[in-house]
Amino acid sequence: MTTTTPLTIGILSFAHTHAASYARILSAMPDVEVLGTDPGPYDPGTVRGAGFAAEHGVTYVEDVASLLAKAPDAVVICAENTAHRELTELATVAGAHVLCEKPLATSDTDAAAMVAAADASGVILMTAYPVRFASAFTDLVARVRAGQLGEIYSILGTNNGKMPLAQRSWFTDPTRSGGGALVDHVVHVADLIDALLGEPAQEVHAVTNRILRADAGVGVETGGVVSVRYPSGVIATIDCSWSQPESAPTWGGLTLEVHGTAGSVRIDPFAAHVSGYDAGGELWAGFGADLDARMIDEFLDAVRTGRAPQPDGAVGARTLAVVTAAQRSVASGLPVPL
Amino acid sequence: MSAPRVGLIGAGGISGVHAAGWRALGADVVVHSEHGAHALADTFGFRTADTLTELWPQVDLVDIVTPTATHAELALAAIAAGKHVICEKPLARTSVEAAAVVGAAEAAGVRVFPAHVVRYFPEYVAARDAIRAGRIGTVAVARFRRMSAAPKADWFFDEARSGGIVLDQMIHDLDQAEWLAGPVARVFARSTAKAGDGGRVASAAVLLTHTSGAISHVYGVWGHPGLRFTSSFEIAGDAGLLRYDMARSDTVRVQLGGPADAGGYLPATDPSESPYAAELADFWAAIESGTQASVAGTDGVRAVALAEAVLASAASGVPVDLPADPADSAHSSTEGSPR
Repeated sequence: MTTTTPLTIGILSFAHTHAASYARILSAMPDVEVLGTDPGPYDPGTVRGAGFAAEHGVTYVEDVASLLAKAPDAVVICAENTAHRELTELATVAGAHVLCEKPLATSDTDAAAMVAAADASGVILMTAYPVRFASAFTDLVARVRAGQLGEIYSILGTNNGKMPLAQRSWFTDPTRSGGGALVDHVVHVADLIDALLGEPAQEVHAVTNRILRADAGVGVETGGVVSVRYPSGVIATIDCSWSQPESAPTWGGLTLEVHGTAGSVRIDPFAAHVSGYDAGGELWAGFGADLDARMIDEFLDAVRTGRAPQPDGAVGARTLAVVTAAQRSVASGLPVPL
Repeated sequence: MSAPRVGLIGAGGISGVHAAGWRALGADVVVHSEHGAHALADTFGFRTADTLTELWPQVDLVDIVTPTATHAELALAAIAAGKHVICEKPLARTSVEAAAVVGAAEAAGVRVFPAHVVRYFPEYVAARDAIRAGRIGTVAVARFRRMSAAPKADWFFDEARSGGIVLDQMIHDLDQAEWLAGPVARVFARSTAKAGDGGRVASAAVLLTHTSGAISHVYGVWGHPGLRFTSSFEIAGDAGLLRYDMARSDTVRVQLGGPADAGGYLPATDPSESPYAAELADFWAAIESGTQASVAGTDGVRAVALAEAVLASAASGVPVDLPADPADSAHSSTEGSPR
């Protein structure tokens, strides 16, 4: 029988809906004590704060300072995007390792500061990119490393979903999210490409619009496509649009298609499902491994062993740079070098 | 409808599906080609003509299926001989040449039809009908994707002769982007080509901004020899989404013993409802009745102009603006001006 070191993990804010998944996974672990705090603000009619903590097996703590005073081994930050830096800096000063929800931050300056803060305190900073842990992606990486695809020259990625729910209005408030579909959905695909190619993006061009969900009157882009060139000459397209209709039976999905001189692979890690019909129309019963659980396992193992996990803060910063370059490209109408 | 008398000029890769289409229409076909005319004629029971001079008196229209760079010269010769012209896409290697063909046909009182066959593929027709019926609301984001094993003939990779993947393959989806989402105002493009162990490969990735505010991305790959032909699209509107992926079509499943399937350059189609036969029938009906077909000569000019903007953006690295009204480009002499 193996034993593991008991850990105390704090969840800082329940603003991101992924907090529910992380809380469920962590609270099911026998050797982990889960604390949580939720500074707000809360959208009307939503269960947040102590109520949310009670529903998800989390011990609620009054505020961030009180939580950090309990000296957690690590924290998971699920705050609004613009709050990531401050919470990371507070946590790292308190000596806690950090798993931060994506995007790592909303400016390159903030992202660099977060990486520096973790380094200065000698703690881990990991970026929450669960798709890295999809078997479809690890299989793709293995094939590429084995040379089955030859030399990669062209990549197409999509990450399309429904516009985030009204219960989390901060997603479409640029002062708290940093932007719309570009901020929400470019980074996952950019991260997979970063891991696959092992090189950062070189030049970014982007176009966006606000036709989808124009009825919601949000102040951010809802449709967007980003064109990226990498130093090796690889060209890539990333479609980040919130184009999954509300009537669809599932949240959306992510695809990555990689073409090499000797082979091609397309992955669709969220495609596995049983389909059918229920009283409301189309039915989608997804199945497959819990990628959040794999990501949490990686984080906790790194916390316990002191090794450096992936995806780390540095890749969080490199992939955020694709987003901020895309935002500058939209503003200028021109490609932006990195 | 009478049987058309057709001069099929060229006997290369695409000639077989055109020949089958003409045979289905009961056409009287005479083949003229530098290479392969007799083999093609024998296969389909057609006759041959050794020279264009010999061909003209035997036909009412020509169907040009030669390499791209020869399209305009052959089309102009046919028009001068008073023949209607059906021409494989692209209508010409340049929009200037394409516009000259359309202008010459107008002056001579004959018809020109560029063979943008994807307008006859039923999945794209169904999408257009659904959009026009308002089923997905206002188009916001459109995605077009097309790939196959790279063609083997050298001229496909010779930019001067073919325009490469952009003018030969992607032009289908550039045409679709405007057919389904309206005129394009701005183009940004990247392209790449590489020599691999199995032959040359190429890819182009294009962002389009439509005058409506919609955005499209168009993605093309000529890949390794094992890459199967597939095309797909997704059109997201503010009230719904349309999706088609040939790779997910499931009408027939066949698994045979023997060597594994390789890739291919052309899509598999329903032989009883061939889009190639459908386009030739539509063109012939339009000629006979004097009505419009689903593709006009000016559409062929516009598609080449759009492809030229793609090439210009890929070469310059900056976006290229296009005249907003497709009709404007029919007689324009520019390929779009870099910003």
